[in-house]
Amino acid sequence: MSDDISPVLKIVVGVLLALVVAPLVVPVLMSVSDTPFITFPPQGFTTEWYGKVLTDPEAQGTFLFSLKLAGVVTLISLILGVPCAAGLVRYDLPGQGLILGLILSPLIVPLIVIGVALLQTFSMLGSRATFAQLVIGHTVVCLPYVIRTVSGSFMLVNRSLEDAASVMGASPLTVARRVIWPQVRPGICAGGIFAFIVSFDDYPISMWLADGRNFPVPLFLHSMIERSFDPSIAAMAALLIFFALLLVLVIEKAFGISLARLIS
Amino acid sequence: MTGLIATASAPAEASGTHAPLAAKSAARPFPSGQRAGWLMVAPTVLFLLVWFAWPVLSMVWLSVSAKVVEGVTVPGLTADNYLRLFQTDLYLRILARTARVAALTCLVAVVLAYPLAIAIARGTPGLARIVTLTILAPLLVNVVVRSYGWQTILNKTGALAWVLKQLGITGMPSLLYTEWAVLIACVHVYLPFMVMPLASAIRRIDRSVEEAARVAGASRFRVFSRVILPLSLPGLAVGSSLVFSLTAAAYVTPQILGGNFSPLLGTLIEQQILTLNDWPFGAAISTLLITMVLASNLVFLRLVNRRFVKWTGIAA
Repeated sequence: MSDDISPVLKIVVGVLLALVVAPLVVPVLMSVSDTPFITFPPQGFTTEWYGKVLTDPEAQGTFLFSLKLAGVVTLISLILGVPCAAGLVRYDLPGQGLILGLILSPLIVPLIVIGVALLQTFSMLGSRATFAQLVIGHTVVCLPYVIRTVSGSFMLVNRSLEDAASVMGASPLTVARRVIWPQVRPGICAGGIFAFIVSFDDYPISMWLADGRNFPVPLFLHSMIERSFDPSIAAMAALLIFFALLLVLVIEKAFGISLARLIS
Repeated sequence: MTGLIATASAPAEASGTHAPLAAKSAARPFPSGQRAGWLMVAPTVLFLLVWFAWPVLSMVWLSVSAKVVEGVTVPGLTADNYLRLFQTDLYLRILARTARVAALTCLVAVVLAYPLAIAIARGTPGLARIVTLTILAPLLVNVVVRSYGWQTILNKTGALAWVLKQLGITGMPSLLYTEWAVLIACVHVYLPFMVMPLASAIRRIDRSVEEAARVAGASRFRVFSRVILPLSLPGLAVGSSLVFSLTAAAYVTPQILGGNFSPLLGTLIEQQILTLNDWPFGAAISTLLITMVLASNLVFLRLVNRRFVKWTGIAA
């Protein structure tokens, strides 16, 4: 079926892919430039800027903070989301459409608006617990992804296997552990990875709720862009690009989940 | 053994879920009856009611229940925040720019997405995989990094200026901090959301329809304009509504590439609330943003689908 794609189209696709990759390649090139300012083409070669970023206590702190935040958010999203997805698939609840609407609407309302609305509510409540606020804000956004992915896998569970196991005398726990879990595990993993990425990359919610001591990576990077001009900022961008590539590899190889399924 | 037989021969119970073999309903991981279902769903529903529905609704309420006069918040039902938004030249310009950038981003994304989507849907498995990965992988890269990448390209001393200089073109004004830069970066950031729905719509088109058109003598372009384009409209509608709403609500990308020279509504909300502390007005802009997004969903999904049904006679 190779004749389905004309050579012209192939060239167009090639150019487009190059353009898609360009803004990710250029910062990497610039990050090794041996100049005190950012320039293209890069001059000389040095890894000094990587050293500067990796040993910067502020950068380390913000990275660890983002990992912690995304980890907690992933855990809470799964604890809330997995039973909810199972319940929605397995039970015919009255008002199910309404519930589904509520669960999916954080995907429709602009993130920046969810963030500002939460800030208003938190300040009305007089809350100062910044970390908890960030966890709540991120969880609101991660839940729809988790529930969508996990409910998809619960819908595919083969119920005759459960019936068979029960009939053969398996306890409910055994059925859950040995029959249902293996079937829904990939979906739950995908949902968890998704929640982690969404939380780790979030900017528009964090920008309202963060403070000096609770400062996630994307905000740190943005503040760096505004105040520093040496290639260390390009080095930090490059590190995050490598981190994303690593994620792609882990997702595709270790978990065997195709990126296309995870995202669309 | 006896236990097994006893279970298997127990009379069939009308289990609420699905039990063709009628095992005892009490001994299932999902007990019958709605109570268990409610218990599983309730925590999430409560969480979202308290931390999503209530905050958003109370913000919408704030936009009509108070206004700031000379730095003092005056409570009372009012439409002043909205009147101010629609009567001030500066705000109207930002509103128009937001709509323009979102619409143009959508348009450019459509044009660029079709070749990519066709390559994914109709290319060899190898090509489809490369294109899919290259389109989706950037989604895992933080949006601040992607926007910064464009800064390093569009900068006065950036990659684009260097390429142009090699080609002998000099004196081009720097694109950074213009609406163009915002548009370019928004297309890049949101392109995947156009490509993926389009690709799945094109994949659903029966290949024999395309082959029939080609056998009947249609050129490649005609096959595209008369077969692929109309039949992929549902995917186009989904992609467009996603890209339009995401761009209209974007904050980081316009901020990094447009600076303070071409702000969009998101930047305006941030300024009104964090800098000027005018919560009711910020709430009004936020409400307008929600309305824009809902309207775009409605327009793209309803109208395009109606057109689709009219063109093809297929219910989308």
